[in-house]
Amino acid sequence: MTQEMIVLEKINKSFSGVPVINNLSFMVHQGEILGFLGPNGSGKTTTIRLLNGVITPDSGRLTVAGFNPVTAGDEVRKRCGVLTESAAFYGPMTARENLLFFADLYAVATPTRRVDELLHACGLTPHADKKVAVFSTGMKKRLGIAKALLHQPEILFLDEPTTGLDPEGARTLLDYIQELNRRFGVTIILATHLLKQVETLCHRFIFIDQGRLLADGTFAELAEKYLTAINLQVETDLEITGTEFQGFPLEKNTPGFLQFKVERKEQIPFLLKALLASGSVYSAQIYGRDLETLYFRIKEEKA
Amino acid sequence: MNKRAAKAIINKDIRAIGSNIQLWLPMLIVPLVFSLVLPLVLVLPARFTDLSTMGNIEQIVKLFSKLSSGPLQETIMALPLAQQQIVYFTVNYLFAPFFLIIPLMVASIIGANSFAGEKERKTLETLLFAPLDLNTLLWAKILAAFLPATFLTLICSFLYGITVNIAAYPLFGRIIFPEVNWLLLLLWVTPALSLGAVFVNVFISAKVKGFQEAFQLSGLVILPVLGLFIGQLSGVLLVNSIFLWWSGAVLWLIDFLLVRKCGRFLNRNQLFTSQVS
Ligand SMILES: Nc1ncnc2c1ncn2[C@@H]1O[C@H](COP(=O)(O)OP(=O)(O)OP(=O)(O)O)[C@@H](O)[C@H]1O
Ligand SMILES: [Mg+2]
Repeated sequence: MTQEMIVLEKINKSFSGVPVINNLSFMVHQGEILGFLGPNGSGKTTTIRLLNGVITPDSGRLTVAGFNPVTAGDEVRKRCGVLTESAAFYGPMTARENLLFFADLYAVATPTRRVDELLHACGLTPHADKKVAVFSTGMKKRLGIAKALLHQPEILFLDEPTTGLDPEGARTLLDYIQELNRRFGVTIILATHLLKQVETLCHRFIFIDQGRLLADGTFAELAEKYLTAINLQVETDLEITGTEFQGFPLEKNTPGFLQFKVERKEQIPFLLKALLASGSVYSAQIYGRDLETLYFRIKEEKA
Repeated sequence: MNKRAAKAIINKDIRAIGSNIQLWLPMLIVPLVFSLVLPLVLVLPARFTDLSTMGNIEQIVKLFSKLSSGPLQETIMALPLAQQQIVYFTVNYLFAPFFLIIPLMVASIIGANSFAGEKERKTLETLLFAPLDLNTLLWAKILAAFLPATFLTLICSFLYGITVNIAAYPLFGRIIFPEVNWLLLLLWVTPALSLGAVFVNVFISAKVKGFQEAFQLSGLVILPVLGLFIGQLSGVLLVNSIFLWWSGAVLWLIDFLLVRKCGRFLNRNQLFTSQVS
C-alpha cells in the first residue's frame, strides 16, 4: 500500500441538470482490492466511466495511474481494463473474433496466443467459435472479463463481475482476481451487490449513496466504527424468561437458541461462563459482524 | 492515427455489412438494375424497332442539336443514323446521374449506420473504453463507408460498360463507352462526392441516437444537395470536361475542409451521451 493509483478530488457530475456524483473524493492505492459499494443508482458505474475518461466530470480533479483521464484519456485507458454491464460485444462475431478485434484496439503483442490463453482462463474454450449473439448472460460476462484482461492492465475495473455467473464461475473468477492481485499487483476496483462474496477478498471498502461518500475504510476499521454491538447466538438447552440474562440483553428467544446483545467482544467469555454455569452450550456464533450488516448500519446512520 | 486499430475497425465494419442482408441487398439490387437491366431495356428496343415509324423522332433528334456544344454533341451530330444518335445519347448521357446516385446511396446507408449502429448494439461504450483516439475511430468509420461505396460504383460502371457495349456493338461496330468525360466523372467527381456524403452521414451518425434518426436526417441533408447537383450536372456534366474538373476540385476542397475541422466537434463525452438522448 504505497502509491496512490487512483485519486478523486471533489468530483461533481450531473446529467441534464440532475446531480449524480456529489463532491466525491476518495483514493485507491496501488495493489489494493477496493470494494465499491452502494445501492442501485448510487453512481458506481458513472464513477467508473469518469475514471476511464469516457465521460467528463463537471468539476473536480481525477488522477488515474498518474494521468488525468480528461486530458490524457488514452494513457489511462491503456493501463485500465474495464468490465461494465452496459458495454456489449458484437453479436454476429464469435467470441474469438471479438477478442481478436479488441486485441488490435488494445495493441496486444501476441494476439492469437493471448486470446487462446484468456478463452481458456475464462472457461470459454468450448464456446470460442460460437457467435456472441447466442451467448448466455454468464458467457457474455466471461467474455467481458477476458476482454478486460487482454492487455494485462495495471488497474482493473470490475462492475458487478459475478452477477449472472454460476457459483463455480463466480468462485473461479474471484480466485483469479485474487491471484492477479497477489502475483502481479493489479489494482482492482470491484463494484458489486453480492457482499458475501467480496467480504474477505477486498482490502478496503468505499460506500456511496446518491453520489456521496458515506464511508471509507478496511472492514476492521468500519466494523469498529459502525458495528458497535455484537449479536451472539447460542445453541443451548437453557430456558429463559424475561428480556435479559445476568445483565446481557436478550435479542431473540427461540426454542433451543438464544440471541444476546453484547457491547464489546471482551464480554463474550463472561456471558458464556454464566450460561455454562446454569446449562449446556452446544454452539455459539457471532451474528451481524459481516459486510451486509455493515452496509445496512452505514446506510441507517447516514440517512 | 493508430493504423492497427483503424484496420481492425474497417475490417470489422465491412464484414458486418456482408453479414447484414438488410443492408447490402438494397445496395446491390438498385445498382444492378441501373447497370444491367435498365441499359438493356433502353438500348435493345432502340436498336430493334424502326424509329422512323415513330412520329416524334424528329423532335428528339432536333433536341441533340440544341445540347450545349462540346465533344458529346459533336459526336452525336456526326452519327449518321437517328438510332445511333439516340442510343449514344442514352448510354453516354442519360445514365450519368445514376453513377452519382449509387455511391451516394451506399455512402449514406453505411455512413448513417457507422456510429448509430454501434450505439444501438451497445458496443460503442466498449469502443470508448479502449485506448483508441477519436481521430482514428472517425477515419476508420469514414473509410469503412467510403471504400465499399467507391468499390461498388466502380464495379457497377464496369458492368454497365460491358452491358452497353455488347448491346450496342452491332449498331456501331465499335466501343462507345466510356468517353473521357466518364472517366473523369467516375474517378474524380464521384469519389469526391461520396467522401462528402460519407462524412456528412458519419457525422450525423455520431450525433444522433440511432440508425433511424441518422438515416432520416441524412436524407434531409443529402437529398437537396443531390437534387441541386444532379439537376445542374445533367445539363453540363458530360458535355464539358472543364466543368467536371472544377466541380471535382470544389468537392475535394469541401471534403478536405470538412475532414480537417470535424475532429473538433467530436469528443468521447458527447459520443457517450448521445447514446441516451
Ligand atoms: N447518461 C446518463 N444520462 C442520464 N442519467 C444517467 C446517465 N447515466 C447515469 N445516469 C443516472 O445516474 C445515476 C447513477 O447511475 P449509475 O449507473 O452510476 O448507478 P450504479 O451505482 O452503477 O447503479 P447499479 O447498482 O444499479 O448499477 C442513476 O440515477 C442514473 O439514472
Ligand atoms: Mg452500475
